[in-house]
Amino acid sequence: MIRLALISSAETAQAYGALSTRLRRAAWTAFAPLDSGGSGQALGQVTEATSAEELFTNQADVFDAVVIAADQASAGRLAKAASSLGKPVLAGAAGSNLTALGQADTLLMPAHPWRFLPSIQSVKRSLDAGKLGQAGLLRIHRWLPPGADVESQAERILPDADLACWLFGSAPESVWSLQSAANPGYIQFHLGFANDGMAMIDIAASLPSGGDYFSLTMIGGTGAAYADDHHNMNLLYSGGQPNAIRTSQGRADLGGQLQEFVDAISEQREPSVTPTDTATAVAVVEHILESADNRQVIGGKEGN
Amino acid sequence: MAETKTFRAGVFSVVKHCYLPRAVAAHPRFELVVVTDDADQPDWVHERNQKFADEFGIPYVRDVAKAIAEYDLDMAAVSPEAERHCDLAVRAADAGLHVIADKPMSTRLSECDRLVEAGQRNDVKFLLWNRNYLPAVVQTKEAIDSGAIGELQAIHVDFYFSKNAGPPKGSHAEGDPPINWLDRQMEAHADGSDGGVGKEAMGELEIEGIYPLGYIHMLTGQNVQRVFARTATHFHQANVDNDVDDLATVSLELGGGVVGSLCIGRIGAASHPDIGEIKIHVIGSEGGLVITEARPEVSIYYRDQPPLEFKNERIANENDFLLMDDFARALDTGSEPILNAKAGRDIAATVFAAVESGKTGQPVEVDC
Repeated sequence: MIRLALISSAETAQAYGALSTRLRRAAWTAFAPLDSGGSGQALGQVTEATSAEELFTNQADVFDAVVIAADQASAGRLAKAASSLGKPVLAGAAGSNLTALGQADTLLMPAHPWRFLPSIQSVKRSLDAGKLGQAGLLRIHRWLPPGADVESQAERILPDADLACWLFGSAPESVWSLQSAANPGYIQFHLGFANDGMAMIDIAASLPSGGDYFSLTMIGGTGAAYADDHHNMNLLYSGGQPNAIRTSQGRADLGGQLQEFVDAISEQREPSVTPTDTATAVAVVEHILESADNRQVIGGKEGN
Repeated sequence: MAETKTFRAGVFSVVKHCYLPRAVAAHPRFELVVVTDDADQPDWVHERNQKFADEFGIPYVRDVAKAIAEYDLDMAAVSPEAERHCDLAVRAADAGLHVIADKPMSTRLSECDRLVEAGQRNDVKFLLWNRNYLPAVVQTKEAIDSGAIGELQAIHVDFYFSKNAGPPKGSHAEGDPPINWLDRQMEAHADGSDGGVGKEAMGELEIEGIYPLGYIHMLTGQNVQRVFARTATHFHQANVDNDVDDLATVSLELGGGVVGSLCIGRIGAASHPDIGEIKIHVIGSEGGLVITEARPEVSIYYRDQPPLEFKNERIANENDFLLMDDFARALDTGSEPILNAKAGRDIAATVFAAVESGKTGQPVEVDC
């Protein structure tokens, strides 16, 4: 049984606490809040530190591995501290400051929860099983309300850059991006991969508050997969025009990611998401933003 | 009740799947009176023209000038191989006939320019066949025009036709000769997948690009100014052998600061239960629209259903009728058809720029 410590907000602790009964070969044993006064009560009977520093200093013997759900700057700092104790780390808000830790001997799994969504897992399994043939075109539309999730555009587009690299199995050879002069929360990017693979992705952080939208299509040589919120809408009638309500995928993303972390520790193997993956996605994001700023094709080749 | 004129239409070649002249015939304001083509066309062209003429009980005249002179035509329904579209259309326009032509407008931008000039010089109306009157597309336009999503900022069209196109990529044995494009298109006539009929091979961008770009043109009211494209042959051996795309992605920069994209492909029958995944995404200053172009539709499943039969059928599709209504209105009132020669030409320019960008790997300015 692997003993897990969580460093997070109380709200995130609620989400992880709800997953406790599904977790195999691991249990929560410690909690440290990011915000003063935050409680890990949702995790059950756990040792509660007053802070991450206090957890690392005084409670290091009550946990075997650490899950960090923090902003980018804190996640890097805390992951480094945990690694120095020899504790495996699952760190959220992964960014460039986390990738530098990837060389450490201790297991470090960057959190890429978008990969663990049931819909995305299904697409990936179909691709890996050869049902779709060679990956040809990845199309993603992701629309969000303003300020819904992250602080910067780089953070906002990281998940989709990562999904593209993951599904094609490599970084793109060329990058072309466009922004909207009228909408600073909008960007679209056009990636070219080896073997004529291509991805076309648009991300808008300008929807009115109240809901988001995600659609992913993967077209392969022999089949296609459509993971599309539009297909998964139900209708609510409460006067006037009906409202579309999306069927939830629950928090299977968090659960799947956490189990993969635990399994990698148990099986003494590399996790399915590594700091190298994050570094690749971060580099692609930099190219996307560079292309948008410079209006130049980044990378590329003579024709395709 | 006011007397309305019935327009006399000549069918100027009908070698492809013949939805265009059938739509003309089906509208009460129009009547087909003759099929015509040039005498020097190959036998298969004459056979298809004759077959259509026989079905409608009208003569087939192997002399275009003679048909124009003898049948008192008001308009021409032009549907030959793609490379002859503009030539027949220009000859009709020069004879003072209004023209409806099948897509694509041409395989060459210079031919499109010649047609635009002929239409202006002769003051005749021209309609390029399109799908802008599909119910979901009309709904999209109504939503945008109503201001429901504010000022339009970005538009994306996914246009994947789940049709096959002969042997799949990689199916050729070593030493097999390359697939002849025209032979393949003639073979495809049986199942209506001969959208690229002609001697000159065309990729999916050239064959079908008019439809999604027609949506974008109508919904934004803007021309595309610059494109960046990637093109590939991913599915079909005929496309590989003839070096034309069957999958393409195009980033679009339009007038008015609008940006957008087009993803298009002939993805094969196995890849979708219907005619394909065709969607329009629009982002405005106040919201967004997600539209499935095929709706409304009805799902029909049954025992021993043929595997290639679409399991979801479009319903309430009045596109063909409404296009003809639109054209009749243009002839009656002098209004411009929903996709006129200039707009069709500018869309063709976008397609050719995208093809060039796909080859060079660089953005290309559109000649509009």
